[in-house]
Amino acid sequence: MSCADVREELGGYVLGALEPEEREAVATHLAACPACAAEHARLAGLPALLQQAEGIEIPDAPPAIAERVLDRVAHDRKPPRRGRAGMLGRLTPRRGAGRARRRWGFGLTRGRAAIAAAVAGAALGAGVTALALDRDTAPPAGQYALRLTGATGASARAELQPGRDGTELHLWVKGLPPGDGAVYEVRCERPGWSASAGTFRADARGRAYVVLTTAARKGEYERIRVVRRSEPRDDDVMSAQIQ
Amino acid sequence: MPTPTRRAVAEDAVLVDRLRSDETGDAMRALYRLYGGELYGFALNSLGDRGTAEEVVQEVFLRAWRHSERYDPERAAVRTWLYQITRHAIIDARRRAAVRPGLPLHEPDADTPGGASLEQAMLGWQVAAALERLTPEHRQMIRMAQFRGLSMREIADHTGLPLGTVKSRTWYALRSLRLVLEEMGVVPT
Repeated sequence: MSCADVREELGGYVLGALEPEEREAVATHLAACPACAAEHARLAGLPALLQQAEGIEIPDAPPAIAERVLDRVAHDRKPPRRGRAGMLGRLTPRRGAGRARRRWGFGLTRGRAAIAAAVAGAALGAGVTALALDRDTAPPAGQYALRLTGATGASARAELQPGRDGTELHLWVKGLPPGDGAVYEVRCERPGWSASAGTFRADARGRAYVVLTTAARKGEYERIRVVRRSEPRDDDVMSAQIQ
Repeated sequence: MPTPTRRAVAEDAVLVDRLRSDETGDAMRALYRLYGGELYGFALNSLGDRGTAEEVVQEVFLRAWRHSERYDPERAAVRTWLYQITRHAIIDARRRAAVRPGLPLHEPDADTPGGASLEQAMLGWQVAAALERLTPEHRQMIRMAQFRGLSMREIADHTGLPLGTVKSRTWYALRSLRLVLEEMGVVPT
């Protein structure tokens, strides 16, 4: 048996997948050939390592985690200024004239203005209680960041990217009842009119990150509302006003 | 698919290097895309609770960001570094669970009958990740021979490939696996 022949058999030999006579021929060669024995030695430990990996299927990475990390990173980079508005909370300009804080990841560029609206929103099942917008920031143009806050801990941050044919909406939610499989719907609304932006479920910790689209165009809606789908009527979870 | 190169390993190190200065978040997202799945799987497997595993992974990438300047590519591959951070975060999560008995986490290794140690589990996940980086053809040979216990001849029958192809492919598959594991720092070069 030549070295070339043995090399071809070596994979099956290492994995114990040769026929008995083939195995014996390889073993005989290895005992007499230092070069092939060295090659064998490089591979011989692999079955034991592979055993450790048996049954392991690598899952998809949960999509929300990177964004949550980036939120924390943004927080670490520059702690938010203290609130001024009591129950309404601080209205933090995401990006305004002068003191622009760079937003993570949604293509905000220096020339595009965004506003943040902090909204003291609704608890599960209750109505929206109050809202306010930061007047210090540049007028809304291009992109909006909104903060939706529920009184019982459910809260969300939304970023709206208006386009010609509708709106793309990125929504980070936390504080929803975990693990109950409830379906939540995001709606773009004005009085007497509503367009769904889609539905989502919370993860095991009551959180979600979703990217939704709606045909509702900028100017066609005044409020973003998150409702819990249930019978006979849907329950408000939180909302924010658009201006 | 070619086996990963040293360049790929170096690119990962560049991502870590960029973490703190990159205000777009793209370096973090890229790093998470590369390693988020396997680290989440490792954490979930070790803790047995999805929510806690997600928290651990979040903590891992946050620690990576905070301590990225401490990462030394000469000492460890990015994957090895992240796994070590994950291991510590899992241990921290278990400690927290120990003082909050309501958390439904797996018991620590020593008390888990037949359970693999955290280090063994870490090794298993890295080897699984190495397998994922092989070509589908190479991975198939290893899976059929190692995990399904088929002989070269049986694999040839099963796949319809010539026996010689199965044998040479299996050899190349193991050589590729070895190279990947070396690059990952799982086995010495």
